[in-house]
Amino acid sequence: MISQLFIVSARGDHLIYKDLRGEESKDVVDIFYQKVRSLPRDQAPVVMHHQGLQFIHIRQDTLYLVATTRCNVSPFTVVQFLVRLVSLIKDHCGTLNEKTLQLNFALVYELLDEMLDYGYIQTTSSDILKNFIQTVPETSKQFNLFELSNIGLFGADTQQSKVAPSIAASRPVFAMRTEEGLKTEIFVDVIERLTVVIGANGSLMRADVQGEVRMKCFLPSSTEIRMGLNEEFSIGKADIRGYAAAVKVDECSFHQSVNLDEFESDRILRVVPPQGELTVMQYSLSDDLPVSLPFRLFPTVDKDTDSNRLMVYLKLRCDLSPKSQALNVTVHLPVPKGTTSLSQELSSPDQRAELDSVTRSVHWTIPRFHGGSQLSALFKLEVPGLSASSLLELGPVCMQFELPMSTCSGLQVRFLRVSSTHPPLPHRWVRYVTHSDSYVIRL
Amino acid sequence: MSSGPAYNDEKGSSLGEPEYGHDPASGGIFSSDYKRHDDLKEMLDSNKDSLKLEAMKRIVAMIARGKNASELFPAVVKNVACKNIEVKKLVYVYLVRYAEEQQDLALLSISTFQRGLKDPNQLIRASALRVLSSIRVTIIVPIMMLAIKEAASDMSPYVRKTAAHAIPKLYSLDQDQKDQLIEVIEKLLADKTTLVAGSVVMAFEEVCPERIDLIHKNYRKLCNLLIDVEEWGQVVIINMLTRYARTQFLNPNQNESLLEENPEKAFYGSDEEESKQGEMDAAVLPKRKPYVMDPDHRLLLRNTKPLLQSRNAAVVMAVAQLYFHLAPKAEVGVIAKALVRLLRSHSEVQFVVLQNVASMSIKRRGMFEPHLKSFYIRSTDPTQIKVLKLEVLTNLASETNISTILREFQTYIKSQDKDFVAATIQAIGRCATNIDEVRDTCLNGLVQLLSNRDELVVAESVVVIKKLLQMQPSQHSDIIRHMAKLIDNIMVPMARASILWLIGEYCEHVPTIAPDVLRKMAKSFTNEEDIVKLQITNLAAKLYLTNSKQTKLLTQYVLNLAKYDQNYDIRDRARFIRQLIVPTEKSGVLSKYAKKLFLAQKPAPVLESSFKDRDHFQLGSLSHLLNSKAGGYQELPDWPESAPDPSVRNVEVSEWTKPIGREKRKEKVEKPFYSDSEGESEPTESADSQSPTASESESMSEIESESGSENDEESDEETKSDKERKKKAGKEKSKKQDESEDSGQSEGEEKTVKKHKEEEESSSSSSSSSEESSSESSSSESESEGDSELDTGKKSRKTLSTAKPPPRPLETKQKEISLLDLDDCESFFYFSSSENS
Repeated sequence: MISQLFIVSARGDHLIYKDLRGEESKDVVDIFYQKVRSLPRDQAPVVMHHQGLQFIHIRQDTLYLVATTRCNVSPFTVVQFLVRLVSLIKDHCGTLNEKTLQLNFALVYELLDEMLDYGYIQTTSSDILKNFIQTVPETSKQFNLFELSNIGLFGADTQQSKVAPSIAASRPVFAMRTEEGLKTEIFVDVIERLTVVIGANGSLMRADVQGEVRMKCFLPSSTEIRMGLNEEFSIGKADIRGYAAAVKVDECSFHQSVNLDEFESDRILRVVPPQGELTVMQYSLSDDLPVSLPFRLFPTVDKDTDSNRLMVYLKLRCDLSPKSQALNVTVHLPVPKGTTSLSQELSSPDQRAELDSVTRSVHWTIPRFHGGSQLSALFKLEVPGLSASSLLELGPVCMQFELPMSTCSGLQVRFLRVSSTHPPLPHRWVRYVTHSDSYVIRL
Repeated sequence: MSSGPAYNDEKGSSLGEPEYGHDPASGGIFSSDYKRHDDLKEMLDSNKDSLKLEAMKRIVAMIARGKNASELFPAVVKNVACKNIEVKKLVYVYLVRYAEEQQDLALLSISTFQRGLKDPNQLIRASALRVLSSIRVTIIVPIMMLAIKEAASDMSPYVRKTAAHAIPKLYSLDQDQKDQLIEVIEKLLADKTTLVAGSVVMAFEEVCPERIDLIHKNYRKLCNLLIDVEEWGQVVIINMLTRYARTQFLNPNQNESLLEENPEKAFYGSDEEESKQGEMDAAVLPKRKPYVMDPDHRLLLRNTKPLLQSRNAAVVMAVAQLYFHLAPKAEVGVIAKALVRLLRSHSEVQFVVLQNVASMSIKRRGMFEPHLKSFYIRSTDPTQIKVLKLEVLTNLASETNISTILREFQTYIKSQDKDFVAATIQAIGRCATNIDEVRDTCLNGLVQLLSNRDELVVAESVVVIKKLLQMQPSQHSDIIRHMAKLIDNIMVPMARASILWLIGEYCEHVPTIAPDVLRKMAKSFTNEEDIVKLQITNLAAKLYLTNSKQTKLLTQYVLNLAKYDQNYDIRDRARFIRQLIVPTEKSGVLSKYAKKLFLAQKPAPVLESSFKDRDHFQLGSLSHLLNSKAGGYQELPDWPESAPDPSVRNVEVSEWTKPIGREKRKEKVEKPFYSDSEGESEPTESADSQSPTASESESMSEIESESGSENDEESDEETKSDKERKKKAGKEKSKKQDESEDSGQSEGEEKTVKKHKEEEESSSSSSSSSEESSSESSSSESESEGDSELDTGKKSRKTLSTAKPPPRPLETKQKEISLLDLDDCESFFYFSSSENS
C-alpha cells in the first residue's frame, strides 16, 4: 500500500508531504526530485525505484504527485488514485497549482486524511467526501493578466491546454456552502481530440476522433439536467436516422449518473450530476469522418545541390467553413541534419517561422487561420553537404492547432435544461473545441 | 530531530521570505523566531474557535512544508477535546504526525478517543477509532485491540469498515497480536455489507494472506457482493480471488493439449460445448478426465465481467488479469476491448496498460489482433509509450498483417526520436525472424537503411542484419560484401564488431574482401574499443584457419598487438588463440580441432521479447511492472492437479428463522446468489421450471433461500450440530465422487434442508454429470429415470426461487446504475440505507 504521498513542484519545492505508514524517511522527496531532474522532460518512467522503494508519480502541469510504496500494490490503483486526487483537489480548491495548494494546506490534508488510512484508499467519491470535509477553501482573489494565461483550465486537460481561460469555471465547487444560491452555473464542454495521418500521396491513412462531453456543475446536488444531443446521433452500425447529416460514433460510454431512458427515442441524456467535474460521455469514431479534414498541405521540395540549398514550398489550405477559424496553428517540419540556416517568405506579418536546432525542425506558427483560406510559405534551408539522402530526412510534417466552436464528429448539444426549483435560472455555458492530438502529414 | 529542523526553520525563513511574502500561512512570517510560536500557543489557548482554527491551519501549513512543529505538541493536544469539528480534525492531523515522537504527551489524548468510541454518532466513533489506531505508541496496543474488537461488532458498517482498516495498523505496531487479529478478520469477513468487504480483504492481504481457508465460507458472498463494493475494494478483492481460484479450481485450459492432438475438434468455442465435448473425449479416451468447470469458478467469472465497464482503470485491469489467469481460452477475448479503451486515458495509465498488454499479447496474440490500429504510434506519444507500443505491434505481427505493420514501421524510422528509431529497427528484426515470408523484404529494407545518414540508424541496422544473416548466410553474400565496405564509415563500436564477426564467420563467402578488412583493422587496432578488438582477433584467427597464406603475417601482427593490450580479456584471448591456431611442438591435441572450434556451425540467435517470461508474475501487479518481486508479493500458485473439495465453500445454514429486520438486506444479496449456478451454463432450464414437481418445494425454498446466506451469524448449538452433520455428509459424498472419478464438479448449490438431504445424497453422485450435460446427452453413464427427474425438480426449485424475492425499489435503481458504469457513490447509498434499517 502507499507509504508516503507528496507533491513537489517542478522547482523542487515540497508542497504536500504525508507519511502514511511511518516506514520511510523524509528525504525520499529529494531523492525523487533528483531522479526526475536527471532525466529529460517527459521521459521519467511512471515507476522509479530507489533501494527497494518504488516511486509512482503522475505529472500535472508543473506539479509532480508522487506515491511511494514497498509493497506489491497494483500500480493501476496508485496511478488512478493520483488522478482522482487531482480532480478532487480541483473540485475543492478550484484549480490545482502551487498557489492554491499553499493557500489550502489544511484542506488538502483533511482530504488526504479522509481518503487514505494507513496507505489504504478508503474512498475517492466526492459525494461522500463532502460530508466529511470541514475546511473552507481559500481562493486567491486577485487575478492579474499574467496569471490568466497559465491557469489550468477546466476542460483543457490535453497536452496542449489551449482553451480560452475562464475564471468562472476554476473556482471551487464546494465553496458554495457559505454563499448559497449566489451563483448557480453549469459548464458543458464538448472536447474532441483529432488524430490524423495523411499519406505522402495525400490519401487519408488514419483518422481518429476521441471526444468527451464534460460538465462542471455548480448546482446543488440532485438537480436533474436534460441534455439533448443531435437527433440524428447514432452509435456503431445502427441505421442512420432522418435525412440530415448523421453524427455517427463507433463507441460511446456514459457516466453512471446518466439516465438513458430518453436516449434511444429522443437522444436526450438525463443527468443528475454530482457537484464538481464529471465526464458525462466519452465517444470515439475512427476512419470515417463526417466532415472534411481541417487542413491540407501541398508541399513542393526543390533541391539545389550546387549551392547546398533546399527550397521547401508549403501551401496550407484550411478546409473549415468560412465562418470558423483555427487558432494557434503550428506546423513542425523536420529538416535534414546539419541545416545551418533558414530564410523564409511568409504571406502575412503575424506569422512566424524559426529553426529549432535542437529538434532539427522548422516551426511555423500561425496565430489565426480563417476557414476556406490558404497560406503559403517558402523556406530556404542551407544544408552543407546536401545529398539525395538528405531529402529522406525531411518530414513528416506535424501540426498542432485548436478549432474553437467546432467538432469533427458534428456532435452538438441541442439544449440544456435544468429542472431547477430555485427561481434564479442557472447560467448555462456550452463550449466546443477540437484539439489536434496528433496531426501528421507524411511527405 | 530537534536541532536539524530548527536549522531548517531559519533557513526557510530567510530563503522563503521573498517568495511567499504575501502568503499568510508561509513560514516567513512566524517561524523566524520562537516568539511566533508563543503567538500560536496563545491562539490555541484562547477560547475563540476562529483563533484556534487559524492557529491550527498555520501549524498544518508548517507540517506540509516539512518544518518542525513538534514543540507545540502540548498546546495542540489540549484541543483534542475541542467541540469545533473543524479544529478537531486539524488537531487529529497534527496528532497522528507527532504522536510517535512525543509518546508520553500523546497518552493524554487517549481518554478523549476512548470517550469518542462510545459516542452515539457513528462518524465520531469511526474517526476516534481511526486516529486512535494511527497513534503509533506501543503502550496503547491493548486499548487498540479492545477498541478494534468492539468496533468490529458495531452496528454501523462505517465503523466496522474503520475497524477493518485499523487491523493492519495494529499488526504493524505489534506482530504478536496476529492471532487475535485473525479472529477479528474472520469475523469481519463474514460481514455482509459492501462497505466492509473491501476493507477487510485489504486487512486480510496484509495480515494473513496465507490463510486462504478463511475465504472458503465467504467466497460466494464476496463474488456476489463484488459489483456493489466500492471501486478500490473491488481491486483488492479481485486480486485476492484470483489467487484463491488458482488454488481451488482446475485449469480450464487443460484440454488445450488435447485440442492440439485432435485439430478437427478445435472449432468449438463455448464452454458448454466444451464440457460436452469433454465427456465425449472421456468416452473415447477413458484415461483422461473430462473437464467441467466448477460452478463457483463460473460464478467468479460471470460476476466480474460487468466490471470491465468500470470507470476506474484499476478495476478494469484487475478484471482483465483475472480473466487472463483464470478464464478458459475462448473467453479471454472480452478483456481486449476494455484494455484498449484504457489506452485513451492519461499517459501514465497508458504506460502501465501497455506493459500488461505486451505480456498478454505474447501468449494470446489473437486477442488483440482486431485492435491492431489502436497500437499505432502517434507523434505526440512519449518515448516510453512509443517503445511499448512497438513491442505490442511486434508481438501481434503475423503472416496476415505483417505488410501493414512493416509499412507502419517504415514511417517510424523517419522519426526524430533516436531511441525510438533504434527500437523500431530491432522490432523489424524481430518480425523478420518470427515470420519467414517477410524475411527477405525486411532484410532488403534494412540494407537500404545502411545508406541512411544517421549513424545510429545504420549501426542499429547492422546489428539487426547480422542477426538475420546468421539464419541463412549462404544466399546473402552480396549483403555481407556491402557491409564489409561500410566498416570504413561506421564508428559505433557495436556495429563495427558485428560487421567484423559477420566477415569472419562467413569469410568463405567473401574470400577476397576479408583479408583486406583485416589489414585495415590491424592498422587501426590500437584505437578501437574493446569489443571491436576482440572481434578483430577473432577475425584474424578465423582467416588464419581458412586462408593462412594471405593472412599469416597479419594475424601474427594482430595477436602481438593484442598480447600487450591493456585489457586482460583481450590479452587472454590473444594467448588462447595463439595456442590454438599456431601449431608448436608443445601444443596439445586441441589445436587439431582449431578449425572445428572456431568455424563451428553456430545456432542462429532467437530474437525474443523482453516481456516473454514476465507473465509468471501476476499481471497488473507492481512486481510484473518491475519484473522483480516487490515486497509482499504473493506468488500466483499453479493450478492444482485435482480440485480440492468444493463443498468447503458450502455455507452451512440452520433452518431457524432469521432476525426480521435484516430480511430486506438479505434478499438483495440473495438474488444474484441463486441465479448463479444455473442461469448461464444451462439456458434451456427455464422450460423445466414450469414443471409441477417444483410447486411443492417452492414454499420451502423461500425460507431456505433467505436463511441461505445467514450462515455464521447464528452460533447457537443447533447450527453447530447441523454443521457437523453436514460435514459428515459432505465427506461421504466426496468419497463417492472419488470413486466415480468425477469429483470436484458437483453442483455448487446449498444443500440445506434436512428433508432434502437424503435425496440429494442419492443423486449427488450422478448429478454432476447429468447437470452439465443436458437431458438429451446419451453419452453419460446411464441413470435411472427417477434420479434425473428428482434432479430437474431440484433445479427448477432453485430457478423459481430466483425469481421469487421481490427486489427492493432502491436496489433496482442501483442495478440500473451499475449496468452503465460503476461508481463509488453507490457504496454510500448502501451505507445510508443500512443505517435506516
